[in-house]
Amino acid sequence: MSELYVSPYFGVALSVIAFGAGVRLNRKVKTPICNPLIIAIVLVAAVLLIFKIPYESYNVGGEIINMFLAPATACLAVAVYTKMQVLKEYWLPVLAGCAAGSLASVGSIYVLCRLFGLDESLTVSLLPKSVTTPIAVSISEPAGGVVPVTVVAVIVTGILGSIISPFLIKIFRVSDPVAAGLAIGACSHAVGTSKAVELGEVEGAMSGLAIGICGIITVLVSMVIL
Amino acid sequence: MAELLRKFMKIIRQIGIVFAVCWVSQVVEKVLPVDFPASVIGMVLLLICLLTGFLKIEHIQEKADFLMENMAFFFVPAGVSIINYFDVLESAAVQIVLICVISTVVTFAVTAWTVKLTIRLMERRKTERREKGNE
Repeated sequence: MSELYVSPYFGVALSVIAFGAGVRLNRKVKTPICNPLIIAIVLVAAVLLIFKIPYESYNVGGEIINMFLAPATACLAVAVYTKMQVLKEYWLPVLAGCAAGSLASVGSIYVLCRLFGLDESLTVSLLPKSVTTPIAVSISEPAGGVVPVTVVAVIVTGILGSIISPFLIKIFRVSDPVAAGLAIGACSHAVGTSKAVELGEVEGAMSGLAIGICGIITVLVSMVIL
Repeated sequence: MAELLRKFMKIIRQIGIVFAVCWVSQVVEKVLPVDFPASVIGMVLLLICLLTGFLKIEHIQEKADFLMENMAFFFVPAGVSIINYFDVLESAAVQIVLICVISTVVTFAVTAWTVKLTIRLMERRKTERREKGNE
Protein backbone atom coordinates (compact mmCIF):
# COMPACT_ATOMS: atom_id res chain seq x y z
CA MET A 1 0.00 0.00 0.00
CA SER A 2 2.70 2.47 1.00
CA GLU A 3 4.34 2.41 -2.45
CA LEU A 4 1.15 4.12 -3.68
CA TYR A 5 1.81 7.31 -1.78
CA VAL A 6 5.56 7.46 -1.13
CA SER A 7 6.15 9.71 -4.12
CA PRO A 8 6.27 13.47 -4.40
CA TYR A 9 3.55 13.30 -7.04
CA PHE A 10 1.07 11.96 -4.49
CA GLY A 11 1.29 14.96 -2.17
CA VAL A 12 1.25 17.50 -5.00
CA ALA A 13 -1.67 15.84 -6.78
CA LEU A 14 -3.72 15.47 -3.59
CA SER A 15 -3.12 19.14 -2.69
CA VAL A 16 -4.07 20.37 -6.16
CA ILE A 17 -7.25 18.29 -6.27
CA ALA A 18 -8.27 19.37 -2.74
CA PHE A 19 -7.60 23.04 -3.48
CA GLY A 20 -9.47 22.79 -6.78
CA ALA A 21 -12.46 21.39 -4.92
CA GLY A 22 -12.15 24.24 -2.41
CA VAL A 23 -12.13 26.90 -5.13
CA ARG A 24 -15.21 25.33 -6.79
CA LEU A 25 -17.15 25.14 -3.55
CA ASN A 26 -16.19 28.71 -2.72
CA ARG A 27 -17.55 29.91 -6.09
CA LYS A 28 -20.85 28.14 -5.50
CA VAL A 29 -21.32 29.21 -1.88
CA LYS A 30 -20.26 32.83 -1.87
CA THR A 31 -19.29 33.22 1.77
CA PRO A 32 -15.84 33.94 3.22
CA ILE A 33 -16.30 31.01 5.64
CA CYS A 34 -15.99 28.68 2.64
CA ASN A 35 -12.34 29.64 2.26
CA PRO A 36 -10.64 27.45 -0.41
CA LEU A 37 -7.56 26.99 1.76
CA ILE A 38 -9.58 25.83 4.79
CA ILE A 39 -11.56 23.39 2.61
CA ALA A 40 -8.35 22.04 1.03
CA ILE A 41 -6.69 21.55 4.44
CA VAL A 42 -9.75 19.71 5.80
CA LEU A 43 -9.98 17.48 2.70
CA VAL A 44 -6.29 16.55 2.67
CA ALA A 45 -6.27 15.96 6.43
CA ALA A 46 -9.38 13.77 6.10
CA VAL A 47 -7.76 11.66 3.34
CA LEU A 48 -4.58 11.20 5.39
CA LEU A 49 -6.47 10.28 8.56
CA ILE A 50 -9.02 7.97 6.89
CA PHE A 51 -6.45 6.02 4.84
CA LYS A 52 -3.89 6.16 7.67
CA ILE A 53 -1.29 7.80 5.42
CA PRO A 54 1.57 9.28 7.47
CA TYR A 55 1.99 13.06 7.19
CA GLU A 56 5.66 12.54 6.27
CA SER A 57 4.69 10.64 3.10
CA TYR A 58 2.30 13.37 2.05
CA ASN A 59 4.90 16.01 2.84
CA VAL A 60 7.39 14.61 0.30
CA GLY A 61 5.17 16.40 -2.21
CA GLY A 62 4.33 19.10 0.29
CA GLU A 63 7.98 20.20 0.43
CA ILE A 64 7.86 20.94 -3.31
CA ILE A 65 4.80 23.16 -2.83
CA ASN A 66 6.49 24.87 0.15
CA MET A 67 9.36 25.83 -2.15
CA PHE A 68 7.08 28.32 -3.90
CA LEU A 69 6.27 30.26 -0.72
CA ALA A 70 9.33 32.51 -0.90
CA PRO A 71 8.78 33.47 -4.57
CA ALA A 72 5.10 34.16 -3.80
CA THR A 73 6.10 36.49 -0.96
CA ALA A 74 8.67 38.25 -3.12
CA CYS A 75 5.98 38.90 -5.72
CA LEU A 76 4.04 41.00 -3.18
CA ALA A 77 6.56 43.63 -4.30
CA VAL A 78 4.71 43.79 -7.62
CA ALA A 79 1.50 44.68 -5.75
CA VAL A 80 3.30 47.48 -3.91
CA TYR A 81 5.02 48.66 -7.11
CA THR A 82 1.78 48.96 -9.10
CA LYS A 83 0.34 51.12 -6.28
CA MET A 84 3.35 53.43 -6.15
CA GLN A 85 1.25 56.37 -7.37
CA VAL A 86 -1.17 56.18 -4.41
CA LEU A 87 1.71 55.53 -2.06
CA LYS A 88 3.49 58.72 -3.18
CA GLU A 89 0.38 60.75 -2.49
CA TYR A 90 -0.46 59.20 0.89
CA TRP A 91 2.91 57.94 2.14
CA LEU A 92 2.60 59.59 5.54
CA PRO A 93 -0.84 58.24 6.52
CA VAL A 94 0.08 54.86 5.02
CA LEU A 95 3.29 54.54 7.02
CA ALA A 96 1.78 55.95 10.22
CA GLY A 97 -1.32 53.75 9.94
CA CYS A 98 0.61 50.58 9.16
CA ALA A 99 3.13 51.21 11.94
CA ALA A 100 0.40 51.91 14.51
CA GLY A 101 -1.68 48.97 13.29
CA SER A 102 1.22 46.51 13.39
CA LEU A 103 2.18 47.63 16.88
CA ALA A 104 -1.43 47.41 18.05
CA SER A 105 -1.75 43.91 16.59
CA VAL A 106 1.44 42.49 18.08
CA GLY A 107 0.89 44.34 21.37
CA SER A 108 -2.72 43.25 21.85
CA ILE A 109 -1.89 39.62 21.00
CA TYR A 110 1.01 39.62 23.45
CA VAL A 111 -1.09 41.04 26.29
CA LEU A 112 -3.97 38.62 25.59
CA CYS A 113 -1.64 35.59 25.45
CA ARG A 114 -0.21 36.54 28.83
CA LEU A 115 -3.72 37.15 30.17
CA PHE A 116 -4.91 33.70 29.02
CA GLY A 117 -1.72 32.07 30.25
CA LEU A 118 -0.67 30.65 26.86
CA ASP A 119 2.86 29.22 26.74
CA GLU A 120 5.83 30.77 24.95
CA SER A 121 5.60 28.72 21.73
CA LEU A 122 1.88 29.41 21.26
CA THR A 123 2.41 33.11 21.95
CA VAL A 124 5.14 33.28 19.31
CA SER A 125 2.91 31.35 16.89
CA LEU A 126 0.09 33.88 17.28
CA LEU A 127 2.07 37.17 17.43
CA PRO A 128 2.42 37.72 13.65
CA LYS A 129 -1.07 36.48 12.77
CA SER A 130 -2.34 39.76 11.26
CA VAL A 131 0.20 39.74 8.42
CA THR A 132 0.13 37.64 5.29
CA THR A 133 0.90 33.92 5.78
CA PRO A 134 4.43 33.67 4.28
CA ILE A 135 5.69 36.57 6.37
CA ALA A 136 3.88 35.35 9.50
CA VAL A 137 5.44 31.91 9.12
CA SER A 138 8.91 33.32 8.56
CA ILE A 139 8.54 35.25 11.83
CA SER A 140 7.07 32.47 13.96
CA GLU A 141 9.14 29.51 12.72
CA PRO A 142 12.68 30.64 13.67
CA ALA A 143 11.36 32.01 16.98
CA GLY A 144 10.13 28.56 18.03
CA GLY A 145 6.46 28.91 17.03
CA VAL A 146 4.21 26.09 15.85
CA VAL A 147 3.90 26.75 12.10
CA PRO A 148 0.44 25.17 11.51
CA VAL A 149 -0.98 27.15 14.45
CA THR A 150 0.34 30.32 12.80
CA VAL A 151 -1.11 29.32 9.42
CA VAL A 152 -4.55 28.54 10.89
CA ALA A 153 -4.57 31.72 13.03
CA VAL A 154 -3.66 33.83 9.99
CA ILE A 155 -6.46 32.31 7.91
CA VAL A 156 -9.03 32.59 10.71
CA THR A 157 -8.03 36.24 11.23
CA GLY A 158 -8.31 36.95 7.52
CA ILE A 159 -11.75 35.39 7.21
CA LEU A 160 -12.91 37.14 10.38
CA GLY A 161 -11.64 40.50 9.09
CA SER A 162 -13.38 40.13 5.76
CA ILE A 163 -16.67 39.31 7.50
CA ILE A 164 -16.68 41.98 10.21
CA SER A 165 -14.84 44.85 8.48
CA PRO A 166 -18.03 46.36 6.94
CA PHE A 167 -19.52 46.49 10.46
CA LEU A 168 -16.30 47.88 11.94
CA ILE A 169 -16.35 50.66 9.34
CA LYS A 170 -19.82 51.64 10.61
CA ILE A 171 -19.08 51.20 14.33
CA PHE A 172 -15.86 53.24 14.25
CA ARG A 173 -17.34 55.73 11.73
CA VAL A 174 -14.55 55.37 9.16
CA SER A 175 -15.88 57.44 6.27
CA ASP A 176 -12.49 57.95 4.61
CA PRO A 177 -11.79 55.20 2.02
CA VAL A 178 -8.00 55.49 2.57
CA ALA A 179 -8.41 54.82 6.30
CA ALA A 180 -10.90 52.00 5.72
CA GLY A 181 -8.67 50.24 3.16
CA LEU A 182 -5.52 50.46 5.27
CA ALA A 183 -7.38 49.26 8.37
CA ILE A 184 -8.74 46.21 6.53
CA GLY A 185 -5.32 45.33 5.09
CA ALA A 186 -3.58 45.85 8.43
CA CYS A 187 -5.88 43.55 10.39
CA SER A 188 -6.77 40.89 7.83
CA HIS A 189 -4.14 40.89 5.00
CA ALA A 190 -4.99 39.24 1.65
CA VAL A 191 -8.31 37.64 2.62
CA GLY A 192 -9.54 41.00 3.91
CA THR A 193 -8.21 42.73 0.81
CA SER A 194 -10.56 40.70 -1.37
CA LYS A 195 -13.40 42.27 0.66
CA ALA A 196 -11.81 45.75 0.44
CA VAL A 197 -11.71 45.45 -3.36
CA GLU A 198 -15.48 44.91 -3.29
CA LEU A 199 -15.95 48.09 -1.22
CA GLY A 200 -14.12 50.29 -3.72
CA GLU A 201 -10.99 50.87 -5.78
CA VAL A 202 -9.25 53.09 -3.23
CA GLU A 203 -10.09 50.69 -0.40
CA GLY A 204 -8.71 47.76 -2.41
CA ALA A 205 -5.48 49.51 -3.39
CA MET A 206 -4.84 50.71 0.16
CA SER A 207 -5.59 47.31 1.63
CA GLY A 208 -3.17 45.64 -0.80
CA LEU A 209 -0.50 48.17 0.04
CA ALA A 210 -1.00 47.55 3.77
CA ILE A 211 -0.24 43.82 3.33
CA GLY A 212 3.35 44.41 2.23
CA ILE A 213 4.09 47.39 4.47
CA CYS A 214 2.56 45.89 7.64
CA GLY A 215 4.48 42.71 6.84
CA ILE A 216 7.82 44.51 6.83
CA ILE A 217 6.97 46.58 9.93
CA THR A 218 5.83 43.47 11.83
CA VAL A 219 9.13 41.74 10.96
CA LEU A 220 10.99 44.75 12.37
CA VAL A 221 8.81 44.86 15.50
CA SER A 222 9.25 41.14 16.19
CA MET A 223 13.01 41.44 15.69
CA VAL A 224 13.02 43.88 18.58
CA ILE A 225 10.80 41.93 20.96
CA LEU A 226 11.65 38.27 20.20
CA MET B 1 3.39 26.47 -32.46
CA ALA B 2 6.01 29.23 -32.54
CA GLU B 3 3.60 31.45 -30.61
CA LEU B 4 3.11 28.76 -27.98
CA LEU B 5 6.85 28.27 -27.64
CA ARG B 6 7.37 32.01 -27.24
CA LYS B 7 4.77 32.16 -24.44
CA PHE B 8 6.34 29.14 -22.77
CA MET B 9 9.81 30.67 -22.89
CA LYS B 10 8.44 33.90 -21.44
CA ILE B 11 6.98 32.08 -18.42
CA ILE B 12 10.19 30.08 -17.96
CA ARG B 13 12.21 33.31 -18.03
CA GLN B 14 9.90 34.95 -15.49
CA ILE B 15 10.16 31.96 -13.17
CA GLY B 16 13.93 32.14 -13.56
CA ILE B 17 14.01 35.83 -12.65
CA VAL B 18 11.83 35.40 -9.55
CA PHE B 19 13.78 32.32 -8.40
CA ALA B 20 17.06 34.19 -8.93
CA VAL B 21 15.80 37.04 -6.74
CA CYS B 22 14.85 34.50 -4.05
CA TRP B 23 18.26 32.85 -4.24
CA VAL B 24 20.08 36.17 -3.91
CA SER B 25 17.85 37.05 -0.93
CA GLN B 26 18.83 33.78 0.77
CA VAL B 27 22.47 34.72 0.32
CA VAL B 28 21.73 38.18 1.72
CA GLU B 29 19.95 36.57 4.69
CA LYS B 30 23.09 34.57 5.49
CA VAL B 31 25.32 37.64 5.21
CA LEU B 32 23.09 39.99 7.24
CA PRO B 33 24.07 40.17 10.92
CA VAL B 34 20.39 40.29 12.01
CA ASP B 35 17.65 37.67 11.59
CA PHE B 36 15.55 39.01 8.73
CA PRO B 37 13.41 36.49 6.81
CA ALA B 38 14.71 35.76 3.30
CA SER B 39 11.22 35.94 1.77
CA VAL B 40 10.80 39.54 2.95
CA ILE B 41 14.33 40.41 1.78
CA GLY B 42 13.25 39.01 -1.60
CA MET B 43 10.23 41.28 -1.60
CA VAL B 44 12.30 44.39 -0.79
CA LEU B 45 14.94 43.35 -3.34
CA LEU B 46 12.36 42.87 -6.07
CA LEU B 47 10.78 46.24 -5.27
CA ILE B 48 14.19 47.93 -5.48
CA CYS B 49 14.87 46.22 -8.83
CA LEU B 50 11.53 47.49 -10.14
CA LEU B 51 11.95 51.04 -8.79
CA THR B 52 15.48 51.42 -10.17
CA GLY B 53 14.38 50.08 -13.54
CA PHE B 54 16.80 47.13 -13.29
CA LEU B 55 13.75 44.93 -13.89
CA LYS B 56 10.70 46.01 -15.87
CA ILE B 57 7.26 45.08 -14.58
CA GLU B 58 6.67 43.20 -17.89
CA HIS B 59 9.55 40.90 -17.00
CA ILE B 60 7.67 39.32 -14.12
CA GLN B 61 4.02 40.41 -14.41
CA GLU B 62 2.48 37.05 -15.44
CA LYS B 63 4.48 35.00 -12.97
CA ALA B 64 3.73 37.42 -10.14
CA ASP B 65 0.01 37.49 -10.95
CA PHE B 66 -0.05 33.69 -11.06
CA LEU B 67 1.72 33.33 -7.72
CA MET B 68 -0.36 35.98 -5.97
CA GLU B 69 -3.71 34.78 -7.34
CA ASN B 70 -2.95 31.26 -6.17
CA MET B 71 -1.03 32.26 -3.05
CA ALA B 72 -3.38 30.33 -0.76
CA PHE B 73 -2.64 27.03 -2.52
CA PHE B 74 0.99 27.06 -1.43
CA PHE B 75 -0.13 26.92 2.21
CA VAL B 76 -2.02 23.66 1.93
CA PRO B 77 0.88 21.45 3.17
CA ALA B 78 1.73 23.86 6.00
CA GLY B 79 -1.91 23.91 7.06
CA VAL B 80 -2.29 20.13 6.82
CA SER B 81 0.52 19.63 9.32
CA ILE B 82 -2.06 20.80 11.87
CA ILE B 83 -2.99 17.10 12.20
CA ASN B 84 0.26 16.68 14.12
CA TYR B 85 -0.78 19.37 16.61
CA PHE B 86 -4.39 18.58 17.47
CA ASP B 87 -3.50 18.31 21.17
CA VAL B 88 -1.97 21.81 21.21
CA LEU B 89 -5.07 23.29 19.59
CA GLU B 90 -7.52 21.36 21.75
CA SER B 91 -6.07 22.78 24.94
CA ALA B 92 -6.21 26.40 23.79
CA ALA B 93 -8.82 26.63 21.00
CA VAL B 94 -11.16 29.01 22.84
CA GLN B 95 -8.32 31.34 23.85
CA ILE B 96 -6.92 31.38 20.30
CA VAL B 97 -10.30 32.30 18.77
CA LEU B 98 -10.84 35.03 21.40
CA ILE B 99 -7.37 36.43 20.71
CA CYS B 100 -8.10 36.48 16.96
CA VAL B 101 -11.39 38.36 17.42
CA ILE B 102 -10.16 40.96 19.94
CA SER B 103 -6.85 41.72 18.24
CA THR B 104 -8.56 42.07 14.84
CA VAL B 105 -10.96 44.70 16.20
CA VAL B 106 -8.14 46.53 18.04
CA THR B 107 -5.86 46.52 14.98
CA PHE B 108 -8.66 47.80 12.74
CA ALA B 109 -9.58 50.64 15.09
CA VAL B 110 -6.01 51.76 15.77
CA THR B 111 -5.06 51.75 12.08
CA ALA B 112 -8.21 53.57 10.95
CA TRP B 113 -7.94 56.24 13.64
CA THR B 114 -4.22 56.78 13.07
CA VAL B 115 -4.83 57.29 9.34
CA LYS B 116 -7.75 59.63 9.97
CA LEU B 117 -5.72 61.66 12.45
CA THR B 118 -2.69 61.81 10.13
CA ILE B 119 -4.77 62.97 7.16
CA ARG B 120 -6.41 65.63 9.32
CA LEU B 121 -3.02 66.82 10.58
CA MET B 122 -1.67 66.88 7.02
CA GLU B 123 -4.53 69.05 5.86
CA ARG B 124 -4.14 71.40 8.81
CA ARG B 125 -0.42 71.85 8.30
CA LYS B 126 -0.09 71.49 4.57
CA THR B 127 2.85 73.88 4.49
CA GLU B 128 5.02 71.91 6.92
CA ARG B 129 3.95 68.53 5.58
CA ARG B 130 7.53 67.57 4.80
CA GLU B 131 8.95 68.26 8.25
CA LYS B 132 6.23 66.19 9.93
CA GLY B 133 7.52 63.07 8.14
CA ASN B 134 8.51 60.99 11.12
CA GLU B 135 5.11 59.75 12.25
